[in-house]
Amino acid sequence: MTVPEPASARSLPPWWAVLIVAIAIAGLAFAIGRFSTFGAAGAATPPTSDSPEAGFARDMQVHHGQAVEMAMDIYRTTDNSDVRVLAYDIATTQSAQKGEFYDWLVRWGLPQAGGPLMSWMSTADTAHHHGAATGGSAPSEADLMAQMGMATTAEIAQMRAETGTAADCTFLGLMIRHHQGALPMAQALLQLGHDPRALTVAQGVINTQSAEIDLMTSLRAGLSCPS
Amino acid sequence: MTPSPRNRDDSPDAGKRASGNPATQAKIELTVKQQREQQKQAKLAEYQRQLARRRRSRLTWWVVGSAAAIAVVAVIAASIVFAPKSATYQAGGTGAQIEGVETFSNATQHVAGTVDYPQNPPAGGPHNQYWLNCGIYDQPQQNENAVHSLEHGAVWVTYDKTRVTGADLDALKAQLPSSYVILSPYEGLPSPIVLSAWNAQLKLDSATDSRIPAFFEEYWRNQNAPEPGASCSGAIDGPGKQS
Repeated sequence: MTVPEPASARSLPPWWAVLIVAIAIAGLAFAIGRFSTFGAAGAATPPTSDSPEAGFARDMQVHHGQAVEMAMDIYRTTDNSDVRVLAYDIATTQSAQKGEFYDWLVRWGLPQAGGPLMSWMSTADTAHHHGAATGGSAPSEADLMAQMGMATTAEIAQMRAETGTAADCTFLGLMIRHHQGALPMAQALLQLGHDPRALTVAQGVINTQSAEIDLMTSLRAGLSCPS
Repeated sequence: MTPSPRNRDDSPDAGKRASGNPATQAKIELTVKQQREQQKQAKLAEYQRQLARRRRSRLTWWVVGSAAAIAVVAVIAASIVFAPKSATYQAGGTGAQIEGVETFSNATQHVAGTVDYPQNPPAGGPHNQYWLNCGIYDQPQQNENAVHSLEHGAVWVTYDKTRVTGADLDALKAQLPSSYVILSPYEGLPSPIVLSAWNAQLKLDSATDSRIPAFFEEYWRNQNAPEPGASCSGAIDGPGKQS
């Protein structure tokens, strides 16, 4: 009879089938190996030029740069030792932070120049503006700097023209607003960012600048500044 | 041949017998020859069923096997295609090659008095201890002060005020960042507009040239400047400062 024995179907598979399965398993293992490095490589992949981290690093340098300038100005002229040491603290702290933000971009291989100020915040809840990308009512650089709490050229000129307690009060008022402007930016980074160091620094900015706002508010009360 | 009970059943006179069981009745009605034929047919049908089953299972193996092979190839391809790529940007003119940018190698030291600079306008070199505060100026500035600002990472945008006026000047201003930039007219420029950073320069004819933003991306606050991040305020304001 030519009826095949059922037992023959259960014998060892042919050599080529074994080879194909082995190659498939090896290929799968290769791919899994590659995928397993994605997490590490992803974590090591620096933020891109349009990332919240890069935007924060750029805009905070602009923001801190003006704080250093104002603090160094009042440091030269004030007669009040509390205001002088506060100014010293702000100038040195924010210079150091500004340097760190600069270096983030250097290490991430990104240009220091980027898009419009705060455009990276447009997807965060804390952003109240809409970037130039939406067209039509694109805010000017001066508008954006005002939203960041920064002083205008006229306000800085006024502070420089004043002396004594009047200058101290103007400085404290401008610097309180300046510090308040940093808070939404830091909160936006906490919401949108991923880089661990950037998140740590953003939280630090919120904590320390909030504390300094309280200090400056009490200094203003002590100097009986007009509100 | 000795008659058997079964043979007796097959005999013609047995045909008259009847059984209540239909199977038995059918058997009664078949001859030996017919029964053999039936068994043969049954075996053949079984063989064909087995053949069909084997054919089906072989087809299943082909489908499953090729699907698995395609899946493995797809996974390998995905592991290569979707691999994270590292940034390729290199700041400082090594990444983006901007047509027309000249680069130099200037010394950096503080000097009193005037300096004879190799570039016009200067793009680095010895300079005064007082840097020029960054900003928009409508009058020419001292080279020795402006060069110190370049050392701190500023870009000095100089223009020929006889050739760049009105809307052109506004278009130029609109492209400048809010810090670390000096805009001033300059006497004896080789072209209507010249952008200078520390050790890099670009001569331009038009305020709407697309190389202006490219130059800022590459050279503004460049890490290859001698003192990047140092201040561009708090020293001296030159004449004609607008903002």
